[in-house]
Amino acid sequence: MSRAPSAADAFPVTIVVAIACGTLAVLTRMFGPPEEFEALLLEHGMLTPRLVADGDWWRLLAAAFLHGGAVHLVFNLLMLWNLGPAIEQSLGSLRFAALYVASALFGNVAVCLLYDPRQPVIGASGAIFGLMGAAVALNMRSGRHAFAFLDFEGPRRLFGTIAVNLVIGFLLPFVSNTAHIGGLLAGFAVTWLWLAPARRASPGLRRWRLAVSALGLALLAWSLCPVTRADWLQKAYNRELDPAREAQLREALRAADEPAALRRRRR
Amino acid sequence: MPPLLATAARQLPLALVWAAALWPVLLWLVHAQDPVAAVRLAQGAAAAWSATWPWGLGSALALAVVYPPAPAFVRRALHRWRQGLLLDQQALLVKLGDLREFETSARHLEIGRMLRQARKHEQAIPHLGRAVELDESLTGGWHQLGLALFALHQWPAAARCFERAEALEAGHAFGDALLCFGRCLYMVKDGRALATLEEHAHRHGGGPRSGLWLAEARARAGDRAGAVAALRQAAQKPAHRLSPEDGWCRALARVRLWGKGGAA
Repeated sequence: MSRAPSAADAFPVTIVVAIACGTLAVLTRMFGPPEEFEALLLEHGMLTPRLVADGDWWRLLAAAFLHGGAVHLVFNLLMLWNLGPAIEQSLGSLRFAALYVASALFGNVAVCLLYDPRQPVIGASGAIFGLMGAAVALNMRSGRHAFAFLDFEGPRRLFGTIAVNLVIGFLLPFVSNTAHIGGLLAGFAVTWLWLAPARRASPGLRRWRLAVSALGLALLAWSLCPVTRADWLQKAYNRELDPAREAQLREALRAADEPAALRRRRR
Repeated sequence: MPPLLATAARQLPLALVWAAALWPVLLWLVHAQDPVAAVRLAQGAAAAWSATWPWGLGSALALAVVYPPAPAFVRRALHRWRQGLLLDQQALLVKLGDLREFETSARHLEIGRMLRQARKHEQAIPHLGRAVELDESLTGGWHQLGLALFALHQWPAAARCFERAEALEAGHAFGDALLCFGRCLYMVKDGRALATLEEHAHRHGGGPRSGLWLAEARARAGDRAGAVAALRQAAQKPAHRLSPEDGWCRALARVRLWGKGGAA
């Protein structure tokens, strides 16, 4: 006997992501004492660039399913519920999952590259901005030419939504716009180059795919091994046994710390 | 833009992506040899990057203040860039498919016009050439072919096309064929240039582009007062929003007028 298709059949990944975020909110005891909540967040995958460089690479993904409070969680789930089903139906669940993972990953890679090594970051908003980037790419692919969609009011408003969210990110000090922009760019690039390629193969597509793949891998590797950052040099120094190499690393560590030392002197 | 420069400009975004991808690799390689040098290199790049934004913004503002045509130049460049992007590939493919079925001058003209509007002048020329070969009385074909050749700075060939268009239909395209014919003659230093541009101004009225080119022709002929009058006309405040090309010519006319001591 056949059954009526449900929402879970149509867009299972969106629902799985929403359930994962909700489950982790419960597991991290979002409504419990703040100290315990913070400790559980750290245990479950809260990201700091230093921890990622220390080998906790899994935090790059795990942090995208954790949230810092009820408002944060509800706002992100609302955005996911607004954007996810339409994009998942357009791309298919498997490609949607790839898009979500890539956006979450590169949103957090951007944080690792540009933030203070001790700065903690959590939230799904990088991945959700990736969905917005994907929506832009899908609209650009849908018309007769890349900007044909700007003739229509609905798709034009997408830019308004992105702009408003970015402005909110700039205005609120505790919002990581770096992750938003990283996710947005990753979502756009992944969709434009891989998930929704043009109907006619363009000769430049392969070159762009190669270049963007190289860039993605280099940035990912750089967030795992930032060889010029003080925290990474310290770690390398701590585990080094060769005295000559230790001396080299000590010098590099001193050089990497210099700007901070200069800033302290100026104060 | 020269072809080599145009190719370089097209490849620039891809080159920047590769440069960004290779930067961490470079730092790792330097780190393997000398960790201090890698740190210094990264810090130097970060400092340069931080300084780039204020310097870039400051330079752009200074350029806009010191050289007023800068905004007009940017508007024209953006317009050209957008035109290059807006080629309706689907419609072009349909037209090319139609051409295989039955070749007509109108179809070649339409394809050539689409390619030219997308600034693919080299690709447009064979189609426009074939259009006027099939129908020598196709005024629009001669005009479009002239414009494509004009954009590639092939002045003598463009002049012949504009002359033909003007001979077939006087005042074609609201006088654009005559104006471009005059400009081509000016570029090849033909003595008829001034008379042609004067005739255009007389028959079709002025405009920033017409005024600027007429001023250049008059200045070459030694008529300084006439050149200033033409520049003044070109620099007039327009009653409506000018096209990017006309806006650029008006901005140039204003600057040249200042140089000649007149008020814009």
